[in-house]
Amino acid sequence: MAEAKKVTKVAIVVSEGTFDKAMESLMIANTAASMGMEVHIFHTFFGLKLVTKTANPKAPGMYRLFTGMFKKKMAAVGVEGYPAQKKMALELGVKMYACSTSMGVMGVKQEDLDEGVIVLGAAGFLNIAADTDMQYFIG
Amino acid sequence: MEKDETLDCKGLMCPMPIVKLAKKMKEMQVGKVVELISDDPGSKEDVPAWAQRTGNEVVEMKQDGKIFTFYVKKKQA
Repeated sequence: MAEAKKVTKVAIVVSEGTFDKAMESLMIANTAASMGMEVHIFHTFFGLKLVTKTANPKAPGMYRLFTGMFKKKMAAVGVEGYPAQKKMALELGVKMYACSTSMGVMGVKQEDLDEGVIVLGAAGFLNIAADTDMQYFIG
Repeated sequence: MEKDETLDCKGLMCPMPIVKLAKKMKEMQVGKVVELISDDPGSKEDVPAWAQRTGNEVVEMKQDGKIFTFYVKKKQA
């Protein structure tokens, strides 16, 4: 039996809003949360759109046209689309943050954000990330 | 192998077997065993990794072709 461990903490920064980046961030986040880890995700630049209520990310560049096919293939192996992954993440206690500067630049208001998303700046997130054991940058 | 619950994850791929295992274990009492069936090749590494990280125990693992069967005992509340 494993010795009692302190809670492992994970910080993830997402700076792109495409389907692949969105799914990567939440597949790692939901797995980490399922392993009993504490997860914090900072959404900045184009990643900000992912924590809005209308988020519906598309595959990048010319692959955009194949978004539906990607979604279908992932659903076939039990991995639901982004809105379902995000709902699961929030249920698992994953903490989501929105970059305040990106909100200003992209015209996203507090009421556009998903329930439970915390608005902060780089200093606020770095303060959280400084106490984590693992850091991922997805962009 | 004695089991209290079965979780059939055939057809599901990472991270779903782990997410479902974690959810199932949350509902179970300490000392109970769940049988997890998976055909995700990643499960061979993922399920023992999950157990090690969460302080639970893989009591037995069997492989029959592409199908993995794990018996995971809940050791942590």
